[in-house]
Parts: sequence; structure tokens; C-alpha cells
Amino acid sequence: MNSIIFNEVTKNYGKVQGIANVTLNIESGVTGILGPNGAGKSTTMKVLLGLVKPSIGEVIVDGVNPFENLELRNKIGFVPEYDCFYEHMSAVDYVTYFLLIHDFDRDEANTRAKNSLVELGLQDAMHRKIRTYSRGMRQKTKVARATAFDPEILVLDEPFQGADPTTRHLLMQKIKSWSNEGKTILISSHILHDVENLTDNIVLINNGRVIASGDRHEIRKLMSNIPIQIRISPIDGKNLRPLFKRMLDEKWITAGRIMEDEGEIMLETNESNEFYTKFPQILDKEKIMVKKIVSDDDSLDSLYSKLVEGKQWK
Amino acid sequence: MEMRRVVERFPKLFPPIFKDCSYRLITNKLTWVLIAILMLPCALGLLVYYEFSDDRLSEEVDGDTIYYNDDGGLLHEDLRDTFLTFSEFFGMGFIALLLGIMFSSELISEEYNNKTMQLFRTSPIHPLEIITYRYLTGVITGVILLGLYSSLFYIVIMMGAGIHGIVEDLNVLLLVIKIILLSWIGFLSIFCAINVYFERPYLICFIYWLLWEQIISGQNYQQLTITHYINSITYDALLEMKWNITASDYGLVNSNGDTIATDPLISTIIIIFIAIFFVFAGSRGIAAKQF
Repeated sequence: MNSIIFNEVTKNYGKVQGIANVTLNIESGVTGILGPNGAGKSTTMKVLLGLVKPSIGEVIVDGVNPFENLELRNKIGFVPEYDCFYEHMSAVDYVTYFLLIHDFDRDEANTRAKNSLVELGLQDAMHRKIRTYSRGMRQKTKVARATAFDPEILVLDEPFQGADPTTRHLLMQKIKSWSNEGKTILISSHILHDVENLTDNIVLINNGRVIASGDRHEIRKLMSNIPIQIRISPIDGKNLRPLFKRMLDEKWITAGRIMEDEGEIMLETNESNEFYTKFPQILDKEKIMVKKIVSDDDSLDSLYSKLVEGKQWK
Repeated sequence: MEMRRVVERFPKLFPPIFKDCSYRLITNKLTWVLIAILMLPCALGLLVYYEFSDDRLSEEVDGDTIYYNDDGGLLHEDLRDTFLTFSEFFGMGFIALLLGIMFSSELISEEYNNKTMQLFRTSPIHPLEIITYRYLTGVITGVILLGLYSSLFYIVIMMGAGIHGIVEDLNVLLLVIKIILLSWIGFLSIFCAINVYFERPYLICFIYWLLWEQIISGQNYQQLTITHYINSITYDALLEMKWNITASDYGLVNSNGDTIATDPLISTIIIIFIAIFFVFAGSRGIAAKQF
């Protein structure tokens, strides 16, 4: 099992702070790194990859410093956000070229490159020059290059950027399968829904600082000071007002609103556990049936909004 | 340790890197602009040949046709002077220098611009391997291009003196190719290192060459320039060929008027040492660079 440890890592670029006092312990499986532009996601990844040296603190990957250890790079595959191709090469030549650096002999490098590209659906285009590729094909080529040598750790910076739905689906399946193989995968994406589909394990970064890390459901539970919102739709519209009135009698309901047009009531509580325990009992007692109970607050999107964008204060 | 790694992995890594880098160098538009400029004296040589070839004086000696100038001197001796003079500006001079600057930029700076250098820094390749294979590709490609050009130019210029003239002065062509090789070994290493450390390598390389190699070093500090050692090798070789030249023709005198030419073997060793030093310096620069 691979270990990635960030120990109070700070990286400054002159007077600009990239990341500050980041402490993380990343284990196998998929971990999503989330945060707005300029939050420090890329710097975090670069420190892990050994592309930048921490100003303070240390990063230890499998017991060694990634900035100094050359052999560690045989264990880490990196898919950058940006294009980094030799446009005159074909995808096979490009992937083979980098596999040779990983000390594979020429035949094996070529075979692995082809297999990797075929797995990603590039069998028909892999002998064409990269300059003729679409964005999705380029994305697949980057992923093939990063995974063809079977690394134990994968660092994927915005892997779904520019990918069409088919490519996105394929990449999702591949990432899930690599995760099941026991690889450690670090993924940053602006598309929260994609990350949500891949993992519950997240690191939220804002202004260079880790503001939360771990299982997103656990993080949400810890945010007891931030109310959650729940939307409830009774089957019978006549029960809308009585149910609303009844719920306001409970001391753990802090606010509420009737949305007659939608046939819903919106309730806000600080004590979600209390709500989910007692609400069914209330329904049973009042003989009211509901068709829908929804809390968007448990979604990654909502968590991100509350923690990163500070929407809980609006 | 680092050198051992470079040598051990050379058979596997150098061929694909050479293939990629030389392709990029040869297909670069600027390479062809400079080759077009290099071809100007060739075109001029052809023009002169067709204009004046009928006016030459000649005689048959042992089956060879020997051509003479209007003063009765050997024509090939005049033409070899012309070949060397033009070569000192084109094939082994200013234009070749521009080609070297362009090559070093394509080999190093473009890797940073295309962000492929970031991929190398996340791959198990040592910075010394990155720069050494690129540097060697630059030297080999540059010397082949300029060697072929010089051979063509030599034939174009010397054909006025017939087959006899071409064969008689082949040692001048070999000297020019040797000087091209040594110049590229020395200068390209410095240009590559400049490309690692500076963001405007074209300008810095040119300023280095103009200010340091040509102006500031002057007479008394010229031993600190590659130009001095190149000139020393040229001067010594021409003396060996019994050319009528002096040390001052190649600027190899100090302010007291003393000849300060360096022995050609020592000059060659110093140029190679400079190259190794700057390749290592470039490798340190790549290793220390943060992205």
C-alpha cells in the first residue's frame, strides 16, 4: 500500500503563497482534490510530484522525498491539465518514447503503448500524428502515457477537461477499475459531479489551506453549526400546511418555508440525526404520507459551496 | 554515478531522443531561413564559375588539368582563400552561430514552453540525461548540416580550379569541418546552459557572444573565450599547411604584440572541458528548476 504524507507543507512563490501548512495523509483508493481556481490544488500536486520543493515542511511518498528520488517516478503516473505533446509524433510513438525512459525495452514499450491506447479506445487513431487529434483523444493519450507503465500512484489534474460524454464515461470506468486494483489515485476536477461519482474521499482546499479532508459525509456531520435544508413533498397537497405547522413545533427545526407551487415545504435544522429519527414518527402519528424527502446539503456540490464559497453565510 | 547512468542508458534513450529532436531541428522554419542564407555564397560561387570559367589559363601535367590565375599563380590557392574567408563568416562564423542559438532554444527552451520538460521531471530520467542527449543531438545535427553545406560550398568554389584543385586542398575542407565540430562542441554547451537558466535565451546567447567573445575579452583576456582556442587551432593548422599568415591575422596577440596562440591539442582539451562543465551546469539548472 502506498503512502503519501504531507507534513505541514508550505510553498511560497516569492511573496505569493501557493499552499500553507498543508498536512495530509493520502491512502490507496481515489481522493478528490477540490477548490476554486488558484486555491492551491495544482501546487499540492506539483509538490507531490517533485516538481516544486516545499518552502517549509516535507512530503514523503513511500518513505522518500519526491523532489530528490528518481526511482520513485517509476511509481507515479501524472496526467497534467495542460497539453504537453510532441505534436509531430503518433500516440504510439509518444507513449513508447516515455516508456523507454521507464526502462522498458523497445518491443515491450511498444506493446504496452499499443495496449494502453487500445484500452482507451484509440486503436484506430494511434498511428496518426497527435497534431490531428481532438481534445478527447489528446486527453486519452495523456492518460495512456501516464498509466502504460502501471504506476502505483496516479495524479490526475482535471482529467475530464474537454472530454466528450463517452470519453468521460470511459475514463470514469478506468479510474474506478484502477482504484479497485489498489492504486492510489489523486484527482482534481472542477466538475464536482464527476468526483462525487468516483469517491467520497475528498480534500477541500481554499486560499492555499486545507479546509476539510476525509469522507464527505463525515465532514458534513461535523459541520453541526451549519444548518442543513430538507425539502419534503406530501402526497396529498392538503397536508402541506398542517405538516409545516406541526414541524415548526419541534425545537430542532430552526426555520421553514412553504413552496405551494412546488407542493413542497423546506425545513432547516441544525440536528440532522434528530430530524431523520423523529420525522418518520411524526408522519406516522399525523397519518401523513410523503412522496419525497430530499436534502441537497449532503451532496458534494452543496458541501463545496458551504465550505469554499461561504454560501452558508448568505 | 550520474555519468554512469547517462552512459548505461545511452543505447536505449539516445536513438529516440535523437530522432525526435533532430526532426524538430530540421523541420524548424528558422533552420531553413538560415540554410537559405548559407546558400547565398554557393549561388554566388556558381555565378562566378559560369561567368569566368572560360577565361582560365590551364596546362596539362601528368594527365591533370592545372588552372592558373592572371598572374600565373595557382588558381586553387586563390580559391581556397576565398573558401576559408567566406566560411569564417557563414559555415563556421556568424550564421552558424545563429543556427547554434536557434538549435539550443529548440532543444531546451521549447521543452519548457511545451511543458514536456515537466513530464521529464516527473519521469525517471536524470537532468544530466535530459541535457546530454539533447546537446549531443544538437552537435551531431549541426555538424552534419554545416559539414554538408561546407562540402557543397567547397566543391562550388573549388571547381573553378578543376578536379586537381578540389583534391589538392581537401585538407582546408577538413580543417573547416574540424573547426565547425569544435565550435559546436564548445558554443552549443554554453547556449544550452543559457537556455536552462534564462527566459530570453536568444538575446542572452547573442549578447554573450557579441560582448564577451568578440569585444570585452579583447586582447588580454581572450584565453577566457572559446574563440581564442578555435583561432589557435585554425592558425596552427594553416601554418602547418604553409599558408602565409601571422598570429595577428587571427587576433592571437596581446597588447604587447606577443603571440599568445595556444597549442591545438590543449585548445581541443579546453574546449571539451568547457563543454562538459556547461553540460553539467545545465543539468544542475534543470534539477533545481521548479515549475
